[in-house]
Amino acid sequence: MSPTPPRWPFDAVLVANRGEIALRVLRTVRALGLRGLVVHHAADRDAPATRFADAALEITGPTPVAAYLDGAQIIAAARSLGAGAIHPGYGFLSENAAFARAVGEAGMVFVGPTPEAIDLMGDKVRARNFARDGGFPVAPSAIEDDDPRTFAARARAVGFPLLIKPAAGGGGKGMRIVRDPAALDAEIERARSEGARYFGDGRLYVERYVENPRHIEVQVLGDAHGNVVHVYERECSVQRRFQKIVEESPSPALDAATRARICEAAAGIARKAGYRNAGTVEFIYGGGAFYFLEMNTRLQVEHPVTEMVTGLDLVREQLAIAAGEPLRFAQGDIATRGHAFEFRIYAEDPARGFVPTTGPVLGLRLPQDVRVDSGIREGMRVTAAFDPMLAKVIVGGATRAEAIARARAALAGFSLLGCRTNTAFLRRLVDHPAFVAGDIHTGFLDAHPEVAADPPLSDDLKLKLIAAAALAHRPLKDAADAVPDLHAAIGAWRN
Amino acid sequence: MHLDTLSLDGEAHEVWVERAPGGYRVHAGAAALVARLDRITDGGPRHHRLSTERGDADVLVAIDGDRIFVHLDGADYELAHLPVLERLAHAGHGAADDQIRAPMPGTVISVNAAPGQSVTRGQGLLVMESMKLETTVSAPRDGVLKAIHVGTGQTFDRDALLVEFEPAGGAP
Repeated sequence: MSPTPPRWPFDAVLVANRGEIALRVLRTVRALGLRGLVVHHAADRDAPATRFADAALEITGPTPVAAYLDGAQIIAAARSLGAGAIHPGYGFLSENAAFARAVGEAGMVFVGPTPEAIDLMGDKVRARNFARDGGFPVAPSAIEDDDPRTFAARARAVGFPLLIKPAAGGGGKGMRIVRDPAALDAEIERARSEGARYFGDGRLYVERYVENPRHIEVQVLGDAHGNVVHVYERECSVQRRFQKIVEESPSPALDAATRARICEAAAGIARKAGYRNAGTVEFIYGGGAFYFLEMNTRLQVEHPVTEMVTGLDLVREQLAIAAGEPLRFAQGDIATRGHAFEFRIYAEDPARGFVPTTGPVLGLRLPQDVRVDSGIREGMRVTAAFDPMLAKVIVGGATRAEAIARARAALAGFSLLGCRTNTAFLRRLVDHPAFVAGDIHTGFLDAHPEVAADPPLSDDLKLKLIAAAALAHRPLKDAADAVPDLHAAIGAWRN
Repeated sequence: MHLDTLSLDGEAHEVWVERAPGGYRVHAGAAALVARLDRITDGGPRHHRLSTERGDADVLVAIDGDRIFVHLDGADYELAHLPVLERLAHAGHGAADDQIRAPMPGTVISVNAAPGQSVTRGQGLLVMESMKLETTVSAPRDGVLKAIHVGTGQTFDRDALLVEFEPAGGAP
């Protein structure tokens, strides 16, 4: 592999994001000798990324999220800080073609694909047709735009259960499974309202819903010189509400031949799109067949899994590609070693339907000897203003079993005091026989509801917890200390 | 004897502590455990050693008012001291029908009613977003709205007071 470009066309990179991903991108930016800049809402003033950056500028908005969606304000901030490039992270403006275009027009480099590629893949209907026309497998579906008046009837013809999706959607927002034909019309209206609000676009499509499918996605990289490679797959089947909780690579479901086919299909779709920078092609896999779901035109939350098994730094590759460099490797140069998992630490209560939780971060201890990408620190507050994902624990091992053993220890070592998290749930998950066997699918948690339920505490554990709490809490311990020695010597006395 | 209540895992425990040889005897209902809790000097402010007659363990402890958070044996737990429970009990007492509290944290998307307005049971009052889903908060009964405590775009925590009704039993 050739070394880092001797001369970068930019010497400062602004991260238009927050939380763990802002910090993670800044780390690579600074490790490359570039200046790392960040914007932040007041709610993130003390966040790790804000403190780690070489310079940070506050942005404002009617809500904290709105500030991070305000492209014009962010571009102005980037200019005033002297940024030559903007990395959008994931979420927020990362798949906003207008933002990518505006960054370019402002004379800066957008660290991501072209606006045209974002537009193509951001429209799920166009993307699907694009894949189908290229000879890649897609699922039975009905598209509202083809003939809005007959949409409901055509949706019925796709068959139940089916999945309603916003044409402009992503990230699980606005998606609805419909099993009962009688509920179809009402669900279409609901999905339309959500799509209109989240994406400014109420157009829909429906797709046959494959029961208990596996979610397998392939990382791709393309450069400005027409080179495209795949960087192998990740399986992200353990989900709740269409959002991923655990990701791993390689997928335990694929044999070598299927793995090669699915990875080549992903690279083929990216190549046909003239794709540049990092992207992910998502597939549904079930019954030995796979079909194209969508392409995410950004760095994924779960990219560290790929980094762990390939040894690559995907952000470094993104920056080099954005700088106009050719890919440093050909397909044959990329190999994977061992097995890796990522566990998303969410502020939520799995036993109560995974509802988000909030609270102060009174104490935070991260596990040692594993990679943790975290966006929180002690003294911060977990609020409802942002996504509940707080951190990611990434573990690797020579085998899947070895990685699971490491995960067990790492999750036990993670402690956040003050706001409930899903770590105990994740520990139960990695101990579940079906998970250990690799027998997972997107309906895993519905099929195994016991994983989400809090088991009763043993009497011994309860007593130890009460003892620790009572001896740590002044009102209780002080009462004991206030008893004169004579009485204490006599022992317990009751009146 | 100083008797307190600690809640753990949805269960209230009557707790009292007395000094005992080797530390303290902590009573929880009919059970008791001799234990001591010592700061580990180089382990940061939360890191403690819990030594008990049934074995020792490293624990992390953090306190926020009457809430006590403990990390023990690989998991985090939350306990609460009695006054918190009392407050929650009083807050809910008799007023449940006059108040709408947030079932979960979220953000207000739209407010579709105003103070002083007469509403009917099931009428949508505001739309919130939580867990990336829209939920309509509806009137639990017929009545007149006294106050709406949140505005569009505002975020709120679980149990936050969203809407108040004028007390029932006035003019129909």
